[in-house]
Amino acid sequence: MLPYLTEKFGNASSVHGFGQEARAAVDRARREVATLIGARPNEIVFVSGGTEANNLAIRGVGEAAAGHGRHIITSAIEHSSVRGICEVLEKRGWEVTRLPVYEDGIVKIQDVRAALRPDTILISVMLANNEIGTIQPIEEIAALARAEREKSGRRIWVHTDAVQAAGRIEINVEMLGCDLLSFSAHKLYAPKGAGALYVRRGVRLAPQSLGGHQERERRAGTEGVPGIVAFGEAAKLARQEMSQRAQHEERLRNIFEKGVTERIDDIVFNGEPARRLSHVSNISFRFIEGEGLLISLDLQGIAVSTGSACSSGTLEPSPVIIALGRNDELARGAIRFSFGKDNTQADVDYVLEVLPHVVEKLRQLSPLKKVRRLDPVAVE
Amino acid sequence: MPYSEIFKDHLTNPRNGGELEDANVVAEETNPVCGDRLRLALRLADGTIKAARFLAYGCPPVLVCGSALTEFIVGKTIEDALQVTRKQLAESVGGLPLRKQHAAALAIETLRSAIDKFRDS
Repeated sequence: MLPYLTEKFGNASSVHGFGQEARAAVDRARREVATLIGARPNEIVFVSGGTEANNLAIRGVGEAAAGHGRHIITSAIEHSSVRGICEVLEKRGWEVTRLPVYEDGIVKIQDVRAALRPDTILISVMLANNEIGTIQPIEEIAALARAEREKSGRRIWVHTDAVQAAGRIEINVEMLGCDLLSFSAHKLYAPKGAGALYVRRGVRLAPQSLGGHQERERRAGTEGVPGIVAFGEAAKLARQEMSQRAQHEERLRNIFEKGVTERIDDIVFNGEPARRLSHVSNISFRFIEGEGLLISLDLQGIAVSTGSACSSGTLEPSPVIIALGRNDELARGAIRFSFGKDNTQADVDYVLEVLPHVVEKLRQLSPLKKVRRLDPVAVE
Repeated sequence: MPYSEIFKDHLTNPRNGGELEDANVVAEETNPVCGDRLRLALRLADGTIKAARFLAYGCPPVLVCGSALTEFIVGKTIEDALQVTRKQLAESVGGLPLRKQHAAALAIETLRSAIDKFRDS
Protein backbone atom coordinates (compact mmCIF):
# COMPACT_ATOMS: atom_id res chain seq x y z
CA MET A 1 0.00 0.00 0.00
CA LEU A 2 2.71 2.49 0.98
CA PRO A 3 4.08 3.11 -2.56
CA TYR A 4 0.59 4.20 -3.59
CA LEU A 5 0.74 6.97 -1.01
CA THR A 6 4.05 8.27 -2.36
CA GLU A 7 5.83 7.57 -5.65
CA LYS A 8 2.95 5.64 -7.29
CA PHE A 9 0.53 8.50 -6.87
CA GLY A 10 -1.44 8.12 -10.10
CA ASN A 11 -5.19 8.47 -10.38
CA ALA A 12 -6.62 5.14 -11.51
CA SER A 13 -8.98 6.96 -13.86
CA SER A 14 -6.16 8.81 -15.69
CA VAL A 15 -4.90 7.54 -19.02
CA HIS A 16 -1.25 8.43 -18.53
CA GLY A 17 1.33 5.94 -17.31
CA PHE A 18 1.03 6.83 -13.63
CA GLY A 19 -2.72 6.43 -13.85
CA GLN A 20 -2.45 3.07 -15.57
CA GLU A 21 -0.05 1.84 -12.91
CA ALA A 22 -2.67 2.68 -10.30
CA ARG A 23 -5.42 1.11 -12.46
CA ALA A 24 -3.45 -2.15 -12.66
CA ALA A 25 -3.07 -2.17 -8.86
CA VAL A 26 -6.80 -1.60 -8.38
CA ASP A 27 -7.54 -4.42 -10.82
CA ARG A 28 -5.24 -6.78 -8.94
CA ALA A 29 -6.92 -5.86 -5.68
CA ARG A 30 -10.32 -6.39 -7.25
CA ARG A 31 -9.35 -9.93 -8.24
CA GLU A 32 -8.19 -10.74 -4.69
CA VAL A 33 -11.27 -9.23 -3.09
CA ALA A 34 -13.52 -11.12 -5.53
CA THR A 35 -11.69 -14.38 -4.88
CA LEU A 36 -12.28 -14.09 -1.12
CA ILE A 37 -16.02 -14.48 -1.70
CA GLY A 38 -15.99 -16.59 -4.86
CA ALA A 39 -17.17 -13.74 -7.11
CA ARG A 40 -16.06 -12.42 -10.50
CA PRO A 41 -13.95 -9.23 -10.39
CA ASN A 42 -16.53 -7.28 -12.39
CA GLU A 43 -19.12 -8.04 -9.71
CA ILE A 44 -17.14 -6.06 -7.10
CA VAL A 45 -17.94 -2.38 -6.49
CA PHE A 46 -15.37 -0.65 -4.31
CA VAL A 47 -16.86 1.77 -1.78
CA SER A 48 -15.74 3.50 1.41
CA GLY A 49 -16.75 0.73 3.82
CA GLY A 50 -19.54 -1.45 5.13
CA THR A 51 -22.00 1.37 5.76
CA GLU A 52 -21.79 2.68 2.22
CA ALA A 53 -22.02 -0.85 0.82
CA ASN A 54 -25.20 -1.50 2.82
CA ASN A 55 -26.69 1.86 1.86
CA LEU A 56 -25.87 1.35 -1.82
CA ALA A 57 -27.27 -2.18 -1.86
CA ILE A 58 -30.59 -1.39 -0.20
CA ARG A 59 -31.35 2.01 -1.61
CA GLY A 60 -29.80 1.08 -4.97
CA VAL A 61 -31.99 -2.01 -5.39
CA GLY A 62 -34.97 -0.29 -3.76
CA GLU A 63 -34.90 2.56 -6.25
CA ALA A 64 -34.05 0.41 -9.28
CA ALA A 65 -36.85 -2.08 -8.54
CA ALA A 66 -39.43 0.40 -7.24
CA GLY A 67 -41.58 -0.20 -10.32
CA HIS A 68 -41.96 -3.86 -9.31
CA GLY A 69 -42.75 -3.36 -5.65
CA ARG A 70 -41.82 -1.47 -2.54
CA HIS A 71 -41.62 -4.10 0.14
CA ILE A 72 -38.36 -4.98 1.91
CA ILE A 73 -37.80 -7.79 4.40
CA THR A 74 -35.03 -7.40 6.93
CA SER A 75 -34.29 -8.55 10.49
CA ALA A 76 -34.51 -7.02 13.94
CA ILE A 77 -30.76 -7.36 14.54
CA GLU A 78 -29.24 -5.64 11.52
CA HIS A 79 -26.35 -3.18 11.79
CA SER A 80 -27.43 0.45 12.12
CA SER A 81 -26.37 1.13 8.51
CA VAL A 82 -29.05 -1.31 7.32
CA ARG A 83 -31.58 -0.20 9.92
CA GLY A 84 -31.00 3.43 9.05
CA ILE A 85 -31.45 3.11 5.31
CA CYS A 86 -34.57 0.96 5.77
CA GLU A 87 -36.06 3.69 7.97
CA VAL A 88 -35.33 6.30 5.30
CA LEU A 89 -37.01 4.21 2.61
CA GLU A 90 -39.97 3.61 4.91
CA LYS A 91 -40.48 7.37 5.21
CA ARG A 92 -40.49 7.56 1.43
CA GLY A 93 -43.25 5.02 0.94
CA TRP A 94 -41.51 1.65 1.06
CA GLU A 95 -42.81 -0.92 3.52
CA VAL A 96 -40.36 -2.81 5.70
CA THR A 97 -40.95 -6.08 7.55
CA ARG A 98 -38.44 -6.70 10.34
CA LEU A 99 -38.16 -10.38 11.13
CA PRO A 100 -37.79 -11.35 14.76
CA VAL A 101 -34.98 -13.45 16.11
CA TYR A 102 -35.55 -15.66 19.07
CA GLU A 103 -33.45 -16.34 22.13
CA ASP A 104 -30.83 -17.96 19.90
CA GLY A 105 -30.39 -14.79 17.83
CA ILE A 106 -31.20 -16.48 14.52
CA VAL A 107 -33.79 -15.61 11.87
CA LYS A 108 -36.17 -18.48 11.07
CA ILE A 109 -36.78 -19.45 7.45
CA GLN A 110 -40.51 -19.95 8.06
CA ASP A 111 -40.74 -16.32 9.17
CA VAL A 112 -39.08 -15.24 5.93
CA ARG A 113 -41.54 -17.36 3.95
CA ALA A 114 -44.50 -15.90 5.83
CA ALA A 115 -43.26 -12.35 5.27
CA LEU A 116 -42.99 -12.68 1.47
CA ARG A 117 -45.53 -10.60 -0.44
CA PRO A 118 -46.25 -10.08 -4.12
CA ASP A 119 -44.52 -6.68 -3.89
CA THR A 120 -41.41 -7.88 -2.03
CA ILE A 121 -38.33 -6.80 -3.98
CA LEU A 122 -35.52 -7.25 -1.48
CA ILE A 123 -34.58 -9.40 1.49
CA SER A 124 -31.67 -8.02 3.50
CA VAL A 125 -30.46 -10.21 6.36
CA MET A 126 -26.92 -10.11 7.71
CA LEU A 127 -24.64 -13.12 7.32
CA ALA A 128 -23.38 -12.87 10.91
CA ASN A 129 -24.32 -10.45 13.63
CA ASN A 130 -21.76 -7.91 14.77
CA GLU A 131 -22.66 -7.98 18.47
CA ILE A 132 -23.38 -11.64 19.18
CA GLY A 133 -21.82 -13.33 16.14
CA THR A 134 -24.80 -15.53 15.27
CA ILE A 135 -24.72 -16.85 11.70
CA GLN A 136 -27.95 -16.43 9.75
CA PRO A 137 -29.43 -18.95 7.27
CA ILE A 138 -28.65 -16.93 4.13
CA GLU A 139 -28.33 -20.03 1.92
CA GLU A 140 -31.89 -21.07 2.80
CA ILE A 141 -33.21 -17.53 2.44
CA ALA A 142 -31.60 -17.17 -0.99
CA ALA A 143 -32.96 -20.58 -2.07
CA LEU A 144 -36.43 -19.49 -0.98
CA ALA A 145 -36.15 -16.24 -2.93
CA ARG A 146 -34.87 -18.10 -5.99
CA ALA A 147 -37.75 -20.58 -5.85
CA GLU A 148 -40.21 -17.71 -5.51
CA ARG A 149 -38.56 -15.93 -8.44
CA GLU A 150 -38.82 -19.02 -10.65
CA LYS A 151 -42.39 -19.72 -9.62
CA SER A 152 -43.78 -16.22 -10.05
CA GLY A 153 -41.30 -14.57 -12.40
CA ARG A 154 -41.05 -11.68 -9.91
CA ARG A 155 -37.82 -9.99 -8.94
CA ILE A 156 -36.77 -10.67 -5.37
CA TRP A 157 -33.15 -9.90 -4.59
CA VAL A 158 -31.25 -11.09 -1.54
CA HIS A 159 -28.67 -8.85 0.11
CA THR A 160 -26.48 -9.88 3.02
CA ASP A 161 -24.29 -7.71 5.22
CA ALA A 162 -21.17 -9.85 5.58
CA VAL A 163 -18.99 -7.19 7.19
CA GLN A 164 -18.53 -9.22 10.36
CA ALA A 165 -18.35 -12.61 8.62
CA ALA A 166 -15.96 -11.94 5.73
CA GLY A 167 -12.50 -13.29 6.37
CA ARG A 168 -13.80 -15.25 9.38
CA ILE A 169 -15.82 -17.96 7.65
CA GLU A 170 -15.65 -19.34 4.12
CA ILE A 171 -17.91 -17.35 1.84
CA ASN A 172 -18.81 -18.34 -1.68
CA VAL A 173 -21.52 -16.21 -3.23
CA GLU A 174 -22.44 -19.01 -5.65
CA MET A 175 -23.09 -21.41 -2.79
CA LEU A 176 -24.76 -18.77 -0.64
CA GLY A 177 -26.94 -17.73 -3.56
CA CYS A 178 -27.19 -14.08 -2.48
CA ASP A 179 -27.38 -11.31 -5.08
CA LEU A 180 -25.61 -8.61 -3.11
CA LEU A 181 -23.06 -8.85 -0.30
CA SER A 182 -21.36 -6.10 1.70
CA PHE A 183 -17.95 -6.35 3.31
CA SER A 184 -15.31 -4.10 4.72
CA ALA A 185 -11.51 -3.84 4.54
CA HIS A 186 -10.73 -2.97 8.12
CA LYS A 187 -12.36 -6.13 9.43
CA LEU A 188 -9.62 -7.93 7.49
CA TYR A 189 -6.94 -5.78 9.17
CA ALA A 190 -6.56 -3.33 6.27
CA PRO A 191 -6.81 0.41 7.00
CA LYS A 192 -10.25 1.91 7.54
CA GLY A 193 -11.90 3.60 4.59
CA ALA A 194 -12.40 0.84 2.03
CA GLY A 195 -15.14 -1.69 1.49
CA ALA A 196 -16.90 -3.52 -1.28
CA LEU A 197 -20.33 -4.44 -2.48
CA TYR A 198 -20.70 -7.61 -4.47
CA VAL A 199 -23.43 -7.17 -7.09
CA ARG A 200 -24.38 -10.31 -9.00
CA ARG A 201 -24.40 -9.92 -12.76
CA GLY A 202 -27.86 -8.93 -13.91
CA VAL A 203 -28.86 -7.12 -10.72
CA ARG A 204 -29.81 -3.53 -11.47
CA LEU A 205 -28.69 -0.95 -9.00
CA ALA A 206 -29.47 2.77 -8.96
CA PRO A 207 -26.11 4.44 -8.21
CA GLN A 208 -26.09 6.70 -5.17
CA SER A 209 -23.15 8.85 -6.22
CA LEU A 210 -23.24 10.20 -9.73
CA GLY A 211 -21.04 12.08 -12.15
CA GLY A 212 -18.24 9.65 -13.01
CA HIS A 213 -17.69 6.36 -14.81
CA GLN A 214 -15.82 4.64 -11.98
CA GLU A 215 -16.89 1.21 -10.76
CA ARG A 216 -18.86 0.55 -13.93
CA GLU A 217 -21.05 3.59 -13.27
CA ARG A 218 -22.27 2.17 -9.97
CA ARG A 219 -20.18 4.40 -7.72
CA ALA A 220 -18.82 7.60 -9.20
CA GLY A 221 -15.73 9.13 -7.60
CA THR A 222 -11.97 8.76 -7.70
CA GLU A 223 -10.93 5.38 -6.34
CA GLY A 224 -9.09 5.42 -2.99
CA VAL A 225 -6.17 3.55 -4.49
CA PRO A 226 -4.00 2.95 -1.36
CA GLY A 227 -6.97 1.66 0.66
CA ILE A 228 -8.10 -0.59 -2.18
CA VAL A 229 -4.60 -2.00 -2.66
CA ALA A 230 -4.42 -2.77 1.06
CA PHE A 231 -7.91 -4.32 0.92
CA GLY A 232 -6.70 -6.64 -1.85
CA GLU A 233 -3.65 -7.71 0.11
CA ALA A 234 -5.67 -8.18 3.29
CA ALA A 235 -8.23 -10.28 1.39
CA LYS A 236 -5.45 -12.53 0.09
CA LEU A 237 -4.00 -13.00 3.59
CA ALA A 238 -7.44 -13.59 5.08
CA ARG A 239 -8.10 -16.32 2.51
CA GLN A 240 -4.73 -17.97 3.07
CA GLU A 241 -4.84 -17.79 6.86
CA MET A 242 -8.58 -18.10 7.48
CA SER A 243 -8.68 -21.53 9.05
CA GLN A 244 -5.67 -21.01 11.30
CA ARG A 245 -6.92 -17.59 12.42
CA ALA A 246 -10.36 -19.00 13.16
CA GLN A 247 -8.93 -21.92 15.14
CA HIS A 248 -6.70 -19.60 17.14
CA GLU A 249 -9.51 -17.16 17.90
CA GLU A 250 -11.95 -19.91 18.81
CA ARG A 251 -9.46 -21.46 21.19
CA LEU A 252 -8.93 -18.13 22.96
CA ARG A 253 -12.65 -17.40 23.01
CA ASN A 254 -13.41 -20.79 24.56
CA ILE A 255 -10.73 -20.42 27.23
CA PHE A 256 -12.13 -16.98 27.98
CA GLU A 257 -15.73 -18.14 28.26
CA LYS A 258 -14.82 -21.08 30.48
CA GLY A 259 -12.76 -18.78 32.70
CA VAL A 260 -15.52 -16.21 32.98
CA THR A 261 -18.09 -18.88 33.84
CA GLU A 262 -15.84 -20.18 36.62
CA ARG A 263 -15.08 -16.75 38.05
CA ILE A 264 -18.22 -14.64 37.72
CA ASP A 265 -21.81 -15.35 38.78
CA ASP A 266 -25.00 -13.82 37.43
CA ILE A 267 -23.97 -13.67 33.80
CA VAL A 268 -25.86 -14.60 30.64
CA PHE A 269 -24.20 -15.52 27.35
CA ASN A 270 -25.94 -14.06 24.33
CA GLY A 271 -26.33 -15.80 20.97
CA GLU A 272 -26.56 -19.48 20.04
CA PRO A 273 -23.13 -20.87 21.00
CA ALA A 274 -23.12 -23.55 18.31
CA ARG A 275 -23.88 -21.21 15.44
CA ARG A 276 -21.78 -18.11 15.76
CA LEU A 277 -18.50 -16.65 14.60
CA SER A 278 -15.46 -18.02 16.37
CA HIS A 279 -14.08 -14.69 17.57
CA VAL A 280 -17.08 -13.13 19.32
CA SER A 281 -18.30 -13.55 22.88
CA ASN A 282 -21.21 -11.50 24.14
CA ILE A 283 -22.01 -11.55 27.84
CA SER A 284 -24.63 -9.76 29.93
CA PHE A 285 -23.48 -8.98 33.45
CA ARG A 286 -26.43 -8.59 35.78
CA PHE A 287 -26.78 -5.56 38.08
CA ILE A 288 -24.34 -3.34 36.19
CA GLU A 289 -24.33 -1.15 33.13
CA GLY A 290 -22.09 -1.97 30.19
CA GLU A 291 -20.51 1.41 29.73
CA GLY A 292 -19.21 1.49 33.31
CA LEU A 293 -17.62 -1.86 32.66
CA LEU A 294 -16.26 -0.76 29.30
CA ILE A 295 -14.56 2.35 30.69
CA SER A 296 -13.27 0.54 33.77
CA LEU A 297 -11.71 -2.15 31.55
CA ASP A 298 -10.35 0.51 29.22
CA LEU A 299 -8.51 2.08 32.16
CA GLN A 300 -6.79 -1.28 32.60
CA GLY A 301 -5.84 -1.48 28.93
CA ILE A 302 -8.64 -3.80 27.82
CA ALA A 303 -10.79 -2.68 24.88
CA VAL A 304 -14.30 -4.13 24.60
CA SER A 305 -17.54 -2.79 23.19
CA THR A 306 -21.19 -2.35 24.04
CA GLY A 307 -23.97 -1.91 21.53
CA SER A 308 -25.94 0.04 24.02
CA ALA A 309 -26.87 3.17 25.86
CA CYS A 310 -24.97 6.40 25.95
CA SER A 311 -21.77 4.90 24.61
CA SER A 312 -23.03 4.82 21.06
CA GLY A 313 -24.69 8.22 21.32
CA THR A 314 -28.18 6.89 21.86
CA LEU A 315 -30.02 6.32 25.09
CA GLU A 316 -31.49 2.98 24.11
CA PRO A 317 -30.07 -0.36 25.18
CA SER A 318 -28.73 -2.61 22.43
CA PRO A 319 -31.60 -3.49 20.05
CA VAL A 320 -29.82 -6.76 19.29
CA ILE A 321 -29.88 -7.97 22.90
CA ILE A 322 -33.46 -6.73 23.33
CA ALA A 323 -34.40 -8.72 20.19
CA LEU A 324 -33.23 -11.87 21.98
CA GLY A 325 -36.00 -11.29 24.50
CA ARG A 326 -33.63 -10.11 27.24
CA ASN A 327 -34.86 -7.50 29.68
CA ASP A 328 -33.56 -3.96 29.88
CA GLU A 329 -31.06 -4.74 32.62
CA LEU A 330 -29.46 -7.60 30.66
CA ALA A 331 -29.43 -5.53 27.47
CA ARG A 332 -27.75 -2.62 29.24
CA GLY A 333 -25.24 -4.94 30.88
CA ALA A 334 -24.13 -6.62 27.65
CA ILE A 335 -20.51 -6.48 26.55
CA ARG A 336 -18.93 -7.84 23.39
CA PHE A 337 -15.49 -9.32 23.73
CA SER A 338 -13.80 -10.06 20.43
CA PHE A 339 -10.61 -11.88 19.71
CA GLY A 340 -8.21 -11.24 16.85
CA LYS A 341 -5.36 -13.05 15.19
CA ASP A 342 -2.79 -11.15 17.23
CA ASN A 343 -4.33 -11.80 20.63
CA THR A 344 -2.48 -14.28 22.82
CA GLN A 345 -3.21 -16.61 25.70
CA ALA A 346 -1.50 -14.05 27.95
CA ASP A 347 -4.05 -11.44 26.84
CA VAL A 348 -6.90 -13.77 27.81
CA ASP A 349 -5.26 -14.57 31.15
CA TYR A 350 -4.94 -10.86 31.86
CA VAL A 351 -8.61 -10.20 31.07
CA LEU A 352 -9.62 -13.13 33.28
CA GLU A 353 -7.55 -11.66 36.10
CA VAL A 354 -8.93 -8.11 35.78
CA LEU A 355 -12.56 -8.68 34.78
CA PRO A 356 -13.87 -10.37 37.96
CA HIS A 357 -12.53 -7.53 40.15
CA VAL A 358 -13.99 -4.82 37.95
CA VAL A 359 -17.39 -6.54 37.79
CA GLU A 360 -17.43 -7.06 41.56
CA LYS A 361 -16.51 -3.45 42.24
CA LEU A 362 -19.30 -2.14 40.01
CA ARG A 363 -21.76 -4.57 41.54
CA GLN A 364 -20.89 -3.31 45.01
CA LEU A 365 -21.99 0.11 43.85
CA SER A 366 -25.17 -1.13 42.22
CA PRO A 367 -28.54 -0.32 43.77
CA LEU A 368 -30.03 -3.20 41.78
CA LYS A 369 -28.49 -5.73 44.12
CA LYS A 370 -28.45 -6.19 47.85
CA VAL A 371 -24.84 -5.19 48.39
CA ARG A 372 -22.40 -5.49 51.18
CA ARG A 373 -20.61 -2.48 52.56
CA LEU A 374 -17.30 -1.57 51.02
CA ASP A 375 -15.55 -0.51 54.22
CA PRO A 376 -16.40 0.96 57.62
CA VAL A 377 -18.20 4.26 57.47
CA ALA A 378 -16.10 7.21 58.46
CA VAL A 379 -18.13 9.49 60.67
CA GLU A 380 -16.78 12.59 62.26
CA MET B 1 -13.68 14.85 25.28
CA PRO B 2 -11.41 12.46 27.21
CA TYR B 3 -12.19 11.88 30.84
CA SER B 4 -9.89 13.61 33.35
CA GLU B 5 -7.55 11.95 35.80
CA ILE B 6 -9.83 12.91 38.70
CA PHE B 7 -12.77 11.34 36.85
CA LYS B 8 -10.82 8.12 36.35
CA ASP B 9 -9.77 8.17 39.98
CA HIS B 10 -13.38 8.41 41.18
CA LEU B 11 -14.32 5.54 38.86
CA THR B 12 -11.44 3.35 39.99
CA ASN B 13 -11.63 4.31 43.67
CA PRO B 14 -15.16 5.43 44.40
CA ARG B 15 -15.55 7.40 47.63
CA ASN B 16 -18.32 6.46 50.03
CA GLY B 17 -19.80 3.69 47.93
CA GLY B 18 -22.23 1.27 49.55
CA GLU B 19 -25.06 1.45 52.03
CA LEU B 20 -25.27 3.47 55.22
CA GLU B 21 -26.91 1.43 57.94
CA ASP B 22 -27.46 4.28 60.38
CA ALA B 23 -28.80 6.66 57.77
CA ASN B 24 -31.65 8.98 58.70
CA VAL B 25 -32.74 9.31 55.13
CA VAL B 26 -32.34 7.45 51.84
CA ALA B 27 -33.43 8.85 48.50
CA GLU B 28 -33.29 7.27 45.10
CA GLU B 29 -33.81 9.06 41.82
CA THR B 30 -33.81 7.70 38.29
CA ASN B 31 -33.43 9.23 34.90
CA PRO B 32 -36.42 7.79 33.05
CA VAL B 33 -34.87 8.54 29.66
CA CYS B 34 -31.85 6.31 30.01
CA GLY B 35 -32.51 4.29 33.17
CA ASP B 36 -29.66 5.78 35.23
CA ARG B 37 -30.27 5.39 38.94
CA LEU B 38 -28.66 6.98 41.99
CA ARG B 39 -29.34 6.16 45.63
CA LEU B 40 -28.06 8.48 48.32
CA ALA B 41 -28.08 7.70 52.03
CA LEU B 42 -27.37 10.47 54.53
CA ARG B 43 -26.86 10.68 58.24
CA LEU B 44 -27.78 14.13 59.42
CA ALA B 45 -27.36 15.59 62.87
CA ASP B 46 -27.39 19.17 64.16
CA GLY B 47 -28.19 20.48 60.70
CA THR B 48 -25.03 18.92 59.28
CA ILE B 49 -24.38 16.01 56.93
CA LYS B 50 -22.30 13.67 59.06
CA ALA B 51 -22.04 10.82 56.58
CA ALA B 52 -23.10 10.05 53.03
CA ARG B 53 -23.07 6.91 50.94
CA PHE B 54 -24.14 6.28 47.39
CA LEU B 55 -25.11 3.46 45.06
CA ALA B 56 -25.31 4.01 41.33
CA TYR B 57 -26.40 2.21 38.20
CA GLY B 58 -25.68 3.79 34.86
CA CYS B 59 -22.93 5.15 32.71
CA PRO B 60 -19.59 6.08 34.34
CA PRO B 61 -20.44 9.78 34.91
CA VAL B 62 -23.36 8.70 37.13
CA LEU B 63 -21.02 6.62 39.30
CA VAL B 64 -18.41 9.38 39.34
CA CYS B 65 -20.91 12.14 40.17
CA GLY B 66 -22.32 10.00 43.00
CA SER B 67 -18.84 9.55 44.40
CA ALA B 68 -17.90 13.22 43.99
CA LEU B 69 -21.19 14.39 45.50
CA THR B 70 -20.58 12.49 48.75
CA GLU B 71 -17.13 14.09 49.05
CA PHE B 72 -18.63 17.49 48.44
CA ILE B 73 -21.34 17.33 51.07
CA VAL B 74 -19.96 15.41 54.04
CA GLY B 75 -19.26 17.91 56.81
CA LYS B 76 -21.39 20.62 55.19
CA THR B 77 -24.50 22.10 56.75
CA ILE B 78 -27.72 21.26 54.99
CA GLU B 79 -27.96 24.86 53.79
CA ASP B 80 -24.44 24.77 52.35
CA ALA B 81 -25.00 21.39 50.72
CA LEU B 82 -28.06 22.76 48.97
CA GLN B 83 -25.89 25.47 47.42
CA VAL B 84 -23.86 22.89 45.45
CA THR B 85 -24.73 23.22 41.79
CA ARG B 86 -24.70 20.82 38.88
CA LYS B 87 -21.96 22.90 37.28
CA GLN B 88 -19.74 22.79 40.37
CA LEU B 89 -20.16 19.03 40.61
CA ALA B 90 -19.30 18.52 36.94
CA GLU B 91 -16.27 20.81 37.26
CA SER B 92 -15.08 18.94 40.34
CA VAL B 93 -14.64 15.79 38.23
CA GLY B 94 -12.78 17.64 35.51
CA GLY B 95 -15.85 18.52 33.43
CA LEU B 96 -18.33 16.29 31.63
CA PRO B 97 -19.16 16.01 27.93
CA LEU B 98 -22.38 17.78 26.96
CA ARG B 99 -24.33 14.56 26.55
CA LYS B 100 -23.26 13.40 30.03
CA GLN B 101 -24.32 16.50 31.95
CA HIS B 102 -27.44 14.63 32.99
CA ALA B 103 -25.31 12.61 35.42
CA ALA B 104 -24.47 15.71 37.47
CA ALA B 105 -28.11 16.79 37.30
CA LEU B 106 -29.23 13.41 38.65
CA ALA B 107 -26.79 13.68 41.57
CA ILE B 108 -28.00 17.15 42.58
CA GLU B 109 -31.62 16.08 42.18
CA THR B 110 -31.04 13.07 44.43
CA LEU B 111 -29.39 15.25 47.09
CA ARG B 112 -32.32 17.68 47.08
CA SER B 113 -34.77 14.84 47.19
CA ALA B 114 -32.98 13.34 50.23
CA ILE B 115 -32.98 16.66 52.09
CA ASP B 116 -36.63 17.30 51.27
CA LYS B 117 -37.48 13.84 52.53
CA PHE B 118 -35.55 14.46 55.74
CA ARG B 119 -37.29 17.77 56.33
CA ASP B 120 -40.68 16.22 55.69
CA SER B 121 -40.04 13.36 58.10
